[in-house]
Parts: sequence; structure tokens; C-alpha cells
Amino acid sequence: MGKSSKDKRDLYYRKAKEEGFRARSAYKLLQLNEEFHFLDDEHNLTKVVDLCAAPGSWSQVLSRKMFAEARDVAPEDKKLVAVDLQPMSPIDNVTTLQADITHPKTLARILDIFGNEKADFVCSDGAPDVTGLHDLDEYVQQQLIMSALQLTTCVLKPRGTFVAKIFRGRDIDMLYSQLGYLFDRVVCAKPRSSRGTSLEAFIVCLGYNPPADWEPHLDVNRSIEEFFSGCAMSRLQIADDAERLPAWTDGQRSIAEFMSCGGLQSFDSDATYHYDDEVLASLSDKASLDPVQSPTNPPYKKALELKRSGKLTRAV
Amino acid sequence: MSGELKDIAHYGPALCVKFSETYPQYTFVAMGPFMQVYNYKTGELINRARVFSANKVHGFNFSKDGAMCVLYGSKSIAFCKTQDLLTREDFSKDEKMFAEWITDAAFSFTGEQVYILTCYNLVVVTDLEGNIQARRNLKNERSILYSGSIKVLSEERVLINAGTVFGGVLIWDLLKQEKIHNLTGHEGSIFYVVVSNNGKYVASCSDDRSIRLWDMESGKQLSIGWGHTARIWNLKFFNNDSQLISVSEDCTCRIWDVVAESGATSLVMKNIYETHLIKNVWGVDVNETEALAVTSGNDGRVKLIDLKQTSRVGDEVRSFNITNLPSNSPLSIEKGEIFKGFYWFNFGLVAITSLGNILKFTEATGTWEILMRDERLVSYSLTHGISTASGNVALFANNKCDLLLLNFSKDGQTIKSKNSLHLDNLSKSCNTMITAYQDEYCLVTVESPNPRDKFAVLQLNVDTLEIVHEFNFAKPDNFVSSCLAVYQQYLIVGGRFGAVAIFDMRNTDADAYVMRQLCPGDTTTSIEYIEERGADILLSVTNRDGFYNFTKVNLDKLASREGIAHEIIHSNKVMKGFLEGAFYNESGEYITYGFKSSLFYMYNEKNCYEIASEVCGGAHRQWKLCDLGDGQGYMLVYIKAAELYMRKIYTAAFPETLESGLHGREIRDISIMPERLPWQYSPENGYLFVTGSEDTTVRLGKYSPETGAVVNYWMERRHVSGLQRLRFISDSLVVSCSAREELFLWTVNTEFQSNPYMHIRQTLPTQSTHPDLRIMDFDVLFNAAGTGDFALATVYSDSSIKVWWYSNASNGFIELWSNRYQTCCILNTSFVVLQGRIFLLIAATDGYLSLYDISREVDILHATEDTRTVRFVNEAFGAIASTSGPAFTLRVHKSGIKTMDVARTKAGAATVRVVTGGDDNAISLTQFNCSASGELSGTVCSMVSDAASSTVTSTQLLPGATQVLSTSVDQRVRLWDITPDNQLSLRASKYTTNADTGCCDIVQTENSHHSLLIAGVGLSVWKC
Repeated sequence: MGKSSKDKRDLYYRKAKEEGFRARSAYKLLQLNEEFHFLDDEHNLTKVVDLCAAPGSWSQVLSRKMFAEARDVAPEDKKLVAVDLQPMSPIDNVTTLQADITHPKTLARILDIFGNEKADFVCSDGAPDVTGLHDLDEYVQQQLIMSALQLTTCVLKPRGTFVAKIFRGRDIDMLYSQLGYLFDRVVCAKPRSSRGTSLEAFIVCLGYNPPADWEPHLDVNRSIEEFFSGCAMSRLQIADDAERLPAWTDGQRSIAEFMSCGGLQSFDSDATYHYDDEVLASLSDKASLDPVQSPTNPPYKKALELKRSGKLTRAV
Repeated sequence: MSGELKDIAHYGPALCVKFSETYPQYTFVAMGPFMQVYNYKTGELINRARVFSANKVHGFNFSKDGAMCVLYGSKSIAFCKTQDLLTREDFSKDEKMFAEWITDAAFSFTGEQVYILTCYNLVVVTDLEGNIQARRNLKNERSILYSGSIKVLSEERVLINAGTVFGGVLIWDLLKQEKIHNLTGHEGSIFYVVVSNNGKYVASCSDDRSIRLWDMESGKQLSIGWGHTARIWNLKFFNNDSQLISVSEDCTCRIWDVVAESGATSLVMKNIYETHLIKNVWGVDVNETEALAVTSGNDGRVKLIDLKQTSRVGDEVRSFNITNLPSNSPLSIEKGEIFKGFYWFNFGLVAITSLGNILKFTEATGTWEILMRDERLVSYSLTHGISTASGNVALFANNKCDLLLLNFSKDGQTIKSKNSLHLDNLSKSCNTMITAYQDEYCLVTVESPNPRDKFAVLQLNVDTLEIVHEFNFAKPDNFVSSCLAVYQQYLIVGGRFGAVAIFDMRNTDADAYVMRQLCPGDTTTSIEYIEERGADILLSVTNRDGFYNFTKVNLDKLASREGIAHEIIHSNKVMKGFLEGAFYNESGEYITYGFKSSLFYMYNEKNCYEIASEVCGGAHRQWKLCDLGDGQGYMLVYIKAAELYMRKIYTAAFPETLESGLHGREIRDISIMPERLPWQYSPENGYLFVTGSEDTTVRLGKYSPETGAVVNYWMERRHVSGLQRLRFISDSLVVSCSAREELFLWTVNTEFQSNPYMHIRQTLPTQSTHPDLRIMDFDVLFNAAGTGDFALATVYSDSSIKVWWYSNASNGFIELWSNRYQTCCILNTSFVVLQGRIFLLIAATDGYLSLYDISREVDILHATEDTRTVRFVNEAFGAIASTSGPAFTLRVHKSGIKTMDVARTKAGAATVRVVTGGDDNAISLTQFNCSASGELSGTVCSMVSDAASSTVTSTQLLPGATQVLSTSVDQRVRLWDITPDNQLSLRASKYTTNADTGCCDIVQTENSHHSLLIAGVGLSVWKC
């Protein structure tokens, strides 16, 4: 997250700074919770997995809810695991794993940390790099959700909750339809802190309830399609013994219930707020505290350096 | 009532493009779900075939013999005869599907099988019927791929080249199912991998913005190609693997040489072409026979690039050093003598040196000679020239009022006449210019820096170079001449500070008519006469600081000296750099030229692409652009590092685009001019329309509702942030708005033949310096008196609401009323007249509709019988800063109301129907009532909560207000009936190929049909 003046004017960014969150996305989870209260019953929040967790703002929220604000359940009975391919700086009470969520070893490590108990809550705020090809970006995002869901089906206890970031594009109704086979209730939730101009929303899946005769099994050599085969949700079977490519048909679609989260009194992320210059000046002092998580090294760092040193100018 | 939705034409991202050796005259282009085939020599579209029902075609490959084609995109795949792509309209019933995303598909060496590579690094082998014959993969390598390609080298050797998301490039042998290399070195996701045709090299590109060349044998990295400033999407080897072409998000296409010398192989960048707008070039191919490249991009453009632009004829580039000029007899050039000026004629170049030597270069012989020496022109001289039917005149001048004119024969062999003269009536001269005049004359202007001196104009006979007339005008105050044009007896002179002065040669006593600051910039660089219409003439004026405009001058007013005779009808700014001149070419396209730092450019302003560019010298460059004549093209002469360069820019050997494309990013709003234009401008019998995009530009174009043909005229670059809304508020006025409180009132002018024109008539005053403060929407009510005045309501992202009065006579906005809703962003507004009272309806991100009673607080605005006009009682008044809340509010949506349309009310109406669409996927029909005493009430009559599977972005009432058309991000267009009991009932729903479907506009055509323009990332023409 940068420190441009635009960010300074973003109220959620300022609030995140003031309250010690690594990113403004913390408020998205908090506002989802205002509506669904999935983080409010500490007896049903003892084993939690945060997937694609870096830089860690959701883990921070979860840590506060599970530990700092908890009263009844002893801390040693609770486990919070954050998984990401990227390294993450430590957070109180969070076990961070730098690992691939699609790998069976990762699953084994989580179950080990949980003492083979199942999770109450699994979430993922992950998003891939967007290319600008809308259909590819939507597909990759759905694959990321399905990868998270694979792991989730292996660790989530019945009636547990799964929350993930989605982009409401062309085929989102196909995802809703699939999730409907695994959960009692599927809601598309839009927190007020998520910009209205963005396609971002969150899928809140309540009451994990997989088909009774289906046993999830992670295997690196099986595709996501294969993983979910046998569970009624798989949309298209090209089973291993299929002989022909089937003719094209549109997939099964259903529209999920929509819910807006975060009260109307909360900040509107599309609105422009005015401050006088003094407020902004004092902010810039405060903002000289760097973001808790230092910005990651982008893959194009070298290209930026070359550009800055004038080596990418048009010479031919 | 309309029942059926029909799509007629689609323009949008083109993801893949290829030439075919079997069909050497064609270019194949994947655009949306279609395959479009063009004859690249004529630009003609041969066929458009629907390939898939909904998915986009991402790529296609031909079999080795070219007879078959495999097309894929998303999870769809199809096989067909290449021949059928030239004729058949629809292949979608042959569409087959796959479980996973298809990354590439290719024919086997023999063409009997198809290999299909998925994004999970699995290859399925099928026959041409789609019968699966084998599945192949690499054990434990199934992470998702952003890219991958299949290279069929022989029957036995098929390579799978997979680009992973973690920077690795996996090359594996398909038949052996064995890994050959895992090439590491890139950072970030790999976006393309390709193997050279001889199998020796691998080239890859990634998020790190580099191209890497690898040795297939050893797996060693041979070279890194830096240069692209954004992500690179596609690569292709050509010319026997000795060259590589790359395309990128930075909108450029680059050519690289694969140089193998002294044991090392490296990538060396050879050329850069600016090809597409704003973002993302996806597809690229090269036709080696023609030396022609083709690229396709997100802007929907299909661009042809002549790889031999500087070598096709052979004489495109020439350079000379003054110390070593080829000649038949020795030239006496002294040490330190340099070129001071030059002009190109059909026979060659005439130049002058710092010692006053006049040189001639004859193109036919390739030799130079010294013609004469003029002592007066030592050290300081200006050079100009003209070519007319009567002769080729070179003009040299110094700063002491001395001139030398030479008239060359057509072949340049003889000097037909010469005039060496001195102007006695001027104390000094600072600028001398020449222009052709009538058939046999030319005009030479001589300007003195002394303000008391006259502005001298000589009329000379071109053939004899004798002075036939001398005009002496009083020089306007603060006027420094810089360019020249002539129309009839009017001498039109451009100057500094954006000024243009018109001198009447039939009335030399009269002061010049001076138009000051026509552009915001400084030096006027060119003036072109375009056309006349009645007593009006149209001039094109350019300014070095990048501005250009079209100015209408009324000759009657000019002659009578009464009032203002000129009016700007078009204004714009070039994309980047300095503007030295502009003109219409023979196809009626406006061509601009100038410099971007050290780069000379010529740019097609109509279709927005660079025609040519040349790296020239720095700030004090010497250069001239001259016409090659006969429509052949242009000659750029310049001096760089003491060398004289002559660069011919020939008229393109091929069409420059096969599709010109639209915006590079999503279209935020679209509006059709209500009046149909039967004849003016191509396409015939169509409508003008404007689009506003996230790319910050506004485009003016025309389309035909019947054929779907779309022509662009202008791309206006005056907004500095992405557009929010724009609309034709009348047949000649457009309002557009965006962030930074920008709201522009544009005039659209359709009275000239050359083009429709548009100009910002006025901008709305701003009140804040907050860069993020966006004007989200607006509405207008015109003055019933027909004065062209109107009331304007604006709503803002900081929750403020304003009502203004626009006075046409004074061309100004006055604020009447302001208020603030809450703190949330307001998204939509509309004036509503009920029971003779004016209300302002707003819709915000909180899902509420609210009505403000404007009549109660603004007593100078009165509703009329016609509910879309007002009367304005022009009394003294002050702006009212209201703090009263809305008269009525109603929650309609769970989340932001993205779109709103209000049914037109009848005179004296007590109720109004409002249709809205939200971020909550819902569409609703709401009715508001107003009692005779002004009491408001409202109910949601119909609420369809699952109207779409994602955000509803536009809901429009069809004329008559009994049907609603909606668009949404799920890429569906839906037509709803409003039943007599005010319920919304779905009548038709159809898939649209525009991603991020954001807006639409409707116009009623003949036979009560409706024509629709639907836009997002791309534009579609529909009817219903």
C-alpha cells in the first residue's frame, strides 16, 4: 500500500493506520462480521484458517477477535493458522505457514497444528494479478477460490463457515451454483469499505454440509475438477474414461442472495471526504510511520530501476 | 412493443491475429466470439463468422498444410476447415467444451490429431472429431499456468512450453512425457513462452518486463531483452529465427534481432512501433513475404505495421555530410561551413550554408552542386519554398531586409528566374515567409521587429519573380508572425501568443482582424484553409504547445468590421509533445506532426495512430517537412549531429489498420444524438454518438443502425480523469463530467462537409481543489422561452447537490442552489416535475431515492406545462445554500443505485415512474406521487432482486415507458415489460460480448423499432 495523498484522503486507509491494521481490507472482514457475527461466538471460533493471508490484516482481525477480545475460552485451546506463498511478518497468536494451499503437505501441517481437530472458520482474501483479459482473470480468481475450497473441505467442520473474496463477473452465478451443493446458505456480501466501482465482493458460505457420500482427498496430480468429482457440484465431467469432447452447453447458474454489510453510518468508500490542510498535515506526520508491512518487491523492480536511470528511453 | 433483441455488430478486444501461408491474401482476426477475415491489401472485411456462443476466441492455429483451423478460448474449442472461415457465418453448433481453461491448441505434424493444452499443464490429444485419444502430463507439475504453447517440430518431437505463475518456464516432451528444462531466471508470472521454428531457442516474457532468450540444447539463458515499460503479452520468431517481435501492455510492438556472434547470442532491440491505445496489445503475427506485421489489442484495433517502412522503395533514408558531398566537380566547402537551411522540391533539395553558398542536390543523379553565393546571406538566413504548377520557388532571407528568390524548372536543371531584392521601407527584418497565391503568383511577407514598421507583403509572379504588387499593413500590437495562409484576398497570418491576424489585401488601410489566444498555448505553427460554406470559411489552426482548433470566420462580418467574425467550433490537444502542423490528407483524415522530445512524429488524429516517426536532433533542431507531390507522401529533411538527413515518408503500402478500434479502456457512458443525419458524413443515414471512457477521452463518431458500421471522427483529450457521464442534451449540445469537478458543455457542429466538429463552449466553475471530487451525474431543464438557456443539476461524490442556470447569451453558469445530502456519494440525479412543482430526484450509494423540493426554495424557476422545460424569472437573486433535508426519501436498493431512468411526465402529472438498477443485482420500479398540496408519497411497485447475477449498470426506459432495457456486469442485456399493474416482467435476455458492460443508449428508428448501442470494454450495435 502506497502513501500517496489519495491514500491519505481514504478514510479506511487512515483508520487502518490509526488502529494498527496492515491494510484497509481489515474493515471488510469486520463489516462482514457486523452482519453475520461469525467472529462473535468464541466457543465456535477456536480453530481458524486464514488463506492467502499476506500481508495479514485479516489475521490481525481474527487474532483480536479470538484472543484479545475473548473472555471464556482459554487461549491454549485456540489455534489460528495463516497460510500464504509470500512471507509474512509475525502477528500475535498467529501461526504463519509459507506454503502452497493446494499441496497435501500444507493440509497435514494445519491438521497437525489443530491436533487433528477441524476448523470453525476458513477465509481467503486472496486475488491473483489481473491481466486485463476479463474472462481469464475471472477464471483464475475462481480457480483460486476453488483451491481454497479444496483445502477448506478437508479442514472445515460440519456447519462451519467459509468466506472468500470474489469478483462479480460474467460467470459468478456458476460459482454460486457450485457452492450451493456444499453449504446450507450462500450469500454475496458487499462491505461498505469495498469500493462500489470495484467488482469485488465476498462470498459468505454458512453451514458446511457436504454430500454424505463424498470424501475429499487432496492429491497434487488431480485437478480441481477431479477433486470435486463425486460431489454433485462438479459442473462438467470429462472423466478419465470419457471418449469425446462434449458439445458446448452453458453451465448451471444460480443467483446468490445479496447483502450489503457495514451500517450506513460507516464510511462510504466511494465518497469524497474533505479535510482542512491542517488535518492532512498532521496525518502526514502520522503517516511517516511506514505501513506495518513493508511493500513487497514487485517482479518488475529491475525494469523500474532501468527506467528511472533512463535506460528504457526510446533510442531506436 | 419490442420483443426480440438482435445484435448487429461488435467492436472490442481482439486477442489473436494471424496470416496464413495457404491463404496469403488474408489476415485472420479473433474478435470476441467471432473470427473475422480481412484482405490486408485492400482492408476489406471478407467474412465474419461466429465461432462460439458466448466465450471469446483467445487463439487459433492452422494445420501444417493450412487446410484446417483449431480455435479455442476459455473452455471452448472448435475445429473447422480454413476455407469455411471465409464464407460461413456461424460455427457455434460445432463448439465443443472442456473442463478447464485452454491455454493453447495445435495440430499434430500430420494434421490428423489436435493437442489441447490446459492451464493445469495437461495435454489432451483428440482426433478431428473430438474423440479423445490420449491424455499426457508431467507428474507433479500441475500448478496453474498463465501461458503455454505447443511446438510441433516433427512427428516425434512435440514440445510443451509452459509458463508458470512462479517465474519458471517448463519445457517438456509431449510424447515422452519427460521434462526437458525448468528455465529459471524470470521474476513473477510468465506471460508467454515460444520455441523458435528450428527448435534452437526458447523465448519467454514475464511480469518482470524482460524478454529472455534461452538455448534449447543446454537450457542456458543467452540474453535478456529490456525495453518494454509494462508487461509483455506475446512473442514470435520470424525471418528464419533471426528476429523476434514482441507486444506489450505499454501499447508498443518491438522488433529484436537475435544476434549470434563470437560465441555469444544476444537480443538487440531494432525498432519500436506505437500501435495501440492506452493499454494492452494481445496478438501479433508477421507476414515474411510482405515484411508486414499485424497486431491486435484491447482497443479493438487491428494494426498493420510495415516492417520495411524505411526500406521498401530503397530511397527512404539518405544522409550527407557537408564535408563529403558527392558531386561531379569538386565543391569548395570551407572548414566549419554548415547547412543553415533547405527546402525539398520534386527534383531534389535546395540548401544554403553558413557562408551563403546555395547548393542543389539532384535526386536523379544523386549529386550536389554549388549554384551561387550570396554575400548578404552569410551567417544568418531563413529558407522557405513553394511548389506550384508555375514553378518551384526557393526563398532566402536575412535579417537586413534582403531577399533572394530563385525559380527552378520542373526538373531543377535550370534557374528560370531570379530576384535579389532589398526592402527599403523596413528598418530590419525578423521573419520572412512565402505562400502560393492564385495560380500564377506567390506572396512574400516580411516582418520587422520594429513595431512602427509596416508589415510588408509582396505579390510576385512565380514565373518571372517580378513584383506585381506591394502591400503595406499596419502591424497589430504585440504581434509576431509565425505562419501563413491565404484565402481570396485575405492573408491569414499566425503569430505568437496563440494569435491569428487576417489582413485584407483589397483594403490595406484597414487594421487587421486579430483573433487573440485562439489556443491556450504560445506560437501558432500552422493555418490551413479547409472549406467554405456560405459566407463562412473554416480554418485549421495548430499551436506548438499541442493545441489545435478549427475556427469558423464569417467573411461578411470580416468585411463589415461589425462585431466578432470568428467562432471556434473544434478544439483539442494532441496526445503528447509539440505540434508543428496539421492538415487533412486525401482520405479526409486529419494528420498532425511535430516532436516528442527528440522524436519527430506524424499521427493520424482521426483514427489515433502514429504514421511514422524519426529520431531527430534536440531542442535547436533544423528540419522541414515537404510534400513529395502526387500523393506519394512526405519528405522530412533534418540535421542531426552535423549530418543532413532526408527521410521519405511514403504513403503506406498497405492499409494502416484493418479495424481502427475504439477506446483502450472501458466505455463509461454513451449517448446518441437524437437527430438522424441522412447524408452528412460516412456511414450514411446514421446517428452521431459520443462515448466517454475510463481512458479520460470523449469520442465523437457515427454509426449506422442497419449495418452496424461505426466511424470515429475525433478523440477529445480535454478531461484529465476517467469520465463519469456524458449525454446529448439537445441536437447540438453535449455535457460530460468527471473527477476534479470537471463538467464541460460541448457544442457539436454539423454544418461543414469535412467533418462534424465539437468544442467546449463552457466549463462549470469549481469550488474545491480536491482532485477526487467527482461530478457523478447531471440533468437539465431547458428554458421554455427557447433561448437555449437551461437549468443544470449536478451531484457529487462528497454528497453535495447543486442547481445552476446556464445563460446562452452570456455563456456562463450561475449557481442557484446548493445542498448536501448525507456524506455518501450520490450516483444519479434527475429533475422531476409533479403538480407544477420542480423536484430534484437523487439516488446514492446508500440505496435511497430522495426528492428535493426545488420550487419551494428557488422561486425564480417555474415549471411549465411541458414538464421538460422551465421558465426563468430573471430577478436579482443570490445563490441559496440550503440546509433543508429532502422532501421525501425511500429505500429501494440494498446497496448503491448504479443507474436510474425517469419516465417523462405529462403536463400536470401527479405521479412519476422511476426505474433503477443496483449493485445488489436488483431492478426496481418505483412510483412517486404528489398531492395537489405538494405532499409526496412513494412506493416500490416492483422489485426484481435477482434481475442479474451481478451489478446492474444501466436501466433505460424505451420511448413510451412501457419497456425497460437493462445491462449488467454479468454481460446480459435484458428487456423487461412494465405490466399494466406496474410489475416488471422479463421478456427477453441475451448475452453480450462486451465485458464490464456498463452503459447503453437507445434511439427510436423507423417502424417503431429501437436501435441500441451497448458499451463496456467494446461496443455493440443492437436493435429491438
